[in-house]
Amino acid sequence: MNRLPRELLAGYVDGELTDEERRRVEAELEQSSELRAELEEFRKLREVTSMAMYADLPDEVWERYWQSMYRKLERGIGWILFSIGTILLTCTGLYYLLRDLLLSPDIPLVVKIGTGTLVAGTVVLLVSYIRQRLFAYKRDRYREVMR
Amino acid sequence: MGMQPEEGMSHMPTDAALLDDIRAGDKNAMNRLVERYKKTAYSLALGLVGNQDDAHDISQEAFLRVYRSAGRFDSSQPFMPWFYTILANLSRSWLRRRQRIDHRTVGIDDVAYLLVSEDSPDAELIHNEQIKALRKALRQLSFEDREIITLQHFRHMSYDQIAELLNIPRGTVMSRLYYARKRLAKLMGEYS
Repeated sequence: MNRLPRELLAGYVDGELTDEERRRVEAELEQSSELRAELEEFRKLREVTSMAMYADLPDEVWERYWQSMYRKLERGIGWILFSIGTILLTCTGLYYLLRDLLLSPDIPLVVKIGTGTLVAGTVVLLVSYIRQRLFAYKRDRYREVMR
Repeated sequence: MGMQPEEGMSHMPTDAALLDDIRAGDKNAMNRLVERYKKTAYSLALGLVGNQDDAHDISQEAFLRVYRSAGRFDSSQPFMPWFYTILANLSRSWLRRRQRIDHRTVGIDDVAYLLVSEDSPDAELIHNEQIKALRKALRQLSFEDREIITLQHFRHMSYDQIAELLNIPRGTVMSRLYYARKRLAKLMGEYS
């Protein structure tokens, strides 16, 4: 016997056993009052779960389902484009700002140093944040798994 | 049965054909796939997270991921196990987030998600108490136990269908069901 009859009991209740397995369980049931009690327990459990059903969503939610999903889809694409545009414009603006600022003889040295360290600090923080997010993502056991 | 699509069966493109079109950016194909599986997706997620609003959002998020990762789908394999993996992982992540936020054991608090079946109108008060106990017990089960109970008891899937969906042997389905039921019965106490 490869599997314990106890585990076969689940299949017996659900009518999922082969004739041979069913006979083995029935033979065991005749011998064991403990197994009979377990069988009764499972049958009662099935009785209770058969009384229950999941609540459905209202019809209007189902009718709007695709539209609301499509909006999310569009928004996702919109956000990606918006982010790329923002990054491009910000980097270009920063480049011109820093170039003009650092090369200008009218700006005091302390302002140039302050601006330079501010920008460098922001870049370090940003890189650190992105690195942390990537680190967490790599170790997330439950992120989307593709078979 | 457990994984039947919701669309009419006549002149229906296969899931793999739809996925091919989705891969090419066809949103109409995506729409058809969503119409085919939206209720199944919602119902599966509902069993896992026990909250109607979240099940709705998780099902939509799962479809969005299908759209984004259609290129990674292996057309020689059935769609549903791949989709279920996405759905189950999203549900797990949602429960973990809820747990972190709420500092509860499991974040299920939608009392209306499990109802007395319309097929059992007699002695509704007693049944209501039993369903309440069942809801409470399901909340305390592990994710894996709740998953197998959901698929067999509430989605009425056969062992072969569950085995295919979860990519596990049929014997493991039986064994997981046995132990999940034992734990559920214990948690139900006098009501089972």
